[in-house]
Amino acid sequence: MQLRYIRFKAMGCPCEIRFFHHDDAEAERLADICLTEIRRLEAKYSRYLPASVTNQINDAAGCDPVMIDPETSALLDYAHTCFNQSDGLFDVTSGVLRHLWHDGLLDTPPPSEFEKWLAIVGWQKVRRTATSIALPLAGMEIDFGGVVKEYAADATLALLSQEGVRDCLVNLGGDIAVLGRLANGQPWEVGITHPELPGQVIASIQVGSGAITTSGSYERFIRIGDKKFSHLINPVTGIPADNLQSVTVVAPKAIIAGSICTIAMLREQEGALDFLNSTHLPFLSVDKLGTCHGSLQKE
Amino acid sequence: MKHKSSTVAALTGAAMSLPAFAATQPAESTISVSLSQYHEADIPSDKVVVGSNERYDIEVGKFKLVTPIGADWSLTVDTTRETMSGASPWGTLYGTTGEPNLIMSGATISESRTSLAISSTRYTDKASYTLGVSKSEENDYKATSYQVSGEWDREDKLSTFALAFSYSSDELSPTDAVLYGRVPEANQRSRSISGSWTQVLSKNAVLQSGISLTKKDGYLSDPYKLLDVRPDEKTQWAVSLRYRHFYDNRNAALHLDYRYYDDDWGIDSHTIDLSWHQNLGVRFQLVPRIRIYSQAEASFFEAADDYSLPRDQPQSSDYRLSGYGALSVGLKAIYKLPAWTVSLSVDQYRSDERFGHNKSQYEHPALLDFTLTNLGLEYRF
Repeated sequence: MQLRYIRFKAMGCPCEIRFFHHDDAEAERLADICLTEIRRLEAKYSRYLPASVTNQINDAAGCDPVMIDPETSALLDYAHTCFNQSDGLFDVTSGVLRHLWHDGLLDTPPPSEFEKWLAIVGWQKVRRTATSIALPLAGMEIDFGGVVKEYAADATLALLSQEGVRDCLVNLGGDIAVLGRLANGQPWEVGITHPELPGQVIASIQVGSGAITTSGSYERFIRIGDKKFSHLINPVTGIPADNLQSVTVVAPKAIIAGSICTIAMLREQEGALDFLNSTHLPFLSVDKLGTCHGSLQKE
Repeated sequence: MKHKSSTVAALTGAAMSLPAFAATQPAESTISVSLSQYHEADIPSDKVVVGSNERYDIEVGKFKLVTPIGADWSLTVDTTRETMSGASPWGTLYGTTGEPNLIMSGATISESRTSLAISSTRYTDKASYTLGVSKSEENDYKATSYQVSGEWDREDKLSTFALAFSYSSDELSPTDAVLYGRVPEANQRSRSISGSWTQVLSKNAVLQSGISLTKKDGYLSDPYKLLDVRPDEKTQWAVSLRYRHFYDNRNAALHLDYRYYDDDWGIDSHTIDLSWHQNLGVRFQLVPRIRIYSQAEASFFEAADDYSLPRDQPQSSDYRLSGYGALSVGLKAIYKLPAWTVSLSVDQYRSDERFGHNKSQYEHPALLDFTLTNLGLEYRF
């Protein structure tokens, strides 16, 4: 069994796939299948590709409903569950708030700007059936950014598993799905970057079959003056999250770990820790003061 | 009011319906074969008045194929071949000690049963529908049955509702009917409806509750017994609870099942199944299991055949209608490779009148003890 290691860029992030296979030609075919699946999901849900499902839906905002396929419908069902479970904090319509907070701003935006953008945010305004979606207000948008990368990691892992691969790791920009273990029988090990010291590992975590994802304001942020703001914005208040510096969660699927991270980042004060504790999942959070919490810090 | 601890369960439920890992249509074909050997312990010879004390040995070979068809259908073909040899109880009479003794058949019974079941399932986004037909044939028994069932997921993906109907029509044609004065030909029908509700309780726990109702009519007596008169109608119902809990820290799952059964022949029974599915590494699983069973006797059960009763008055001395209980313990080992699964199991079953919650006056001399050994092989492609 030989370790196969593929590095590439997808969904705007550095990615890697590792798996064990004895046959070169078969390993190449498997790598190909994985890349095809990741590119498929990227093309289908990218905000930057005019023909993507995301843009078809967004372009019809304020007009007629758009027909959607079962996969998109299932992803929206998932987003709906996230919205309900987070008391409205996880909202796939909050992407337009990037217009409110953008690089180059000199100061906090004026109240009128808040009103303008918050008016077209709100999953509860979206009209859904199993096969269609309608964004009722012109300018409204949905953004699958918060779920698709994680989903792609899970889907790729599922593909490898279906092809008979028993030990593999799929890492799409820090959203990591893992199956089996290393050749020496040890679990896969994942390093978590220190939020204040990029490039330094704050914890090294052994993961059995499952997933681990990290959300942090250090990697993607908005700079206003000399202050950094998280790219995650509270869809109710319009204020960027600034409670935690980073959070890492281990869960059965990357899509679940990812949404738990996002919800935790968006919660305020003790709400974040209370929420993380209530999930009973292993996690590591770093708060504003640099204090670590969660069961993963011991490892 | 939301229970926050259910967040992970809710997200898991929603995630599981995503195409990448929805457990809907099987993505691969599976062929499984298994061989079982079923051995009933001999009856103590002092309890047998006439006939052989060697009971049944049954060898069972099974073949099953599950394969996806097109985008949203699957086909299941299931065949079984059983060969039986040994003796079976013909009747009961009071012996010299005043306790019931057995009249057994000779040990020459040797027969076989072949069955074939075919079903097809259609999968949609939130539901699946199955149609099935099965046939079973022995030289003296033919059964045909039809099943329709459906399964529906609720919007939140945390619960599933299932409903099934089945109808079966059986034809009996006992051997040597003229020689022994058995009924030469008879029929029985069975109609059944069942429903179940499966609820995901947390990321590690699932509870299923079920209820079923079955109505049988026709010739329900055992034609091979010397004297066996049963009502020609029977209504039976059962409720069940099945609980599954996965323990992360032990890498193991607990399965706890309970079933209550009741019928209008006076029999009610309790069954408790407890098993522990322990993963050892990624390939190996060990499953110790225990089953406790207890039943009350039928209202027309007689410890010994009573030839003084009118022939239309129900009576039976069949041990299966007596009040008794049973304890079964077993161990199963499963080894999984990427494309293959091999399993080996041994179960030991012991029945005793004292285990019953409403035991009969005498312990039935024909109460069963048996050993069941099974070797299974599954190939996925």
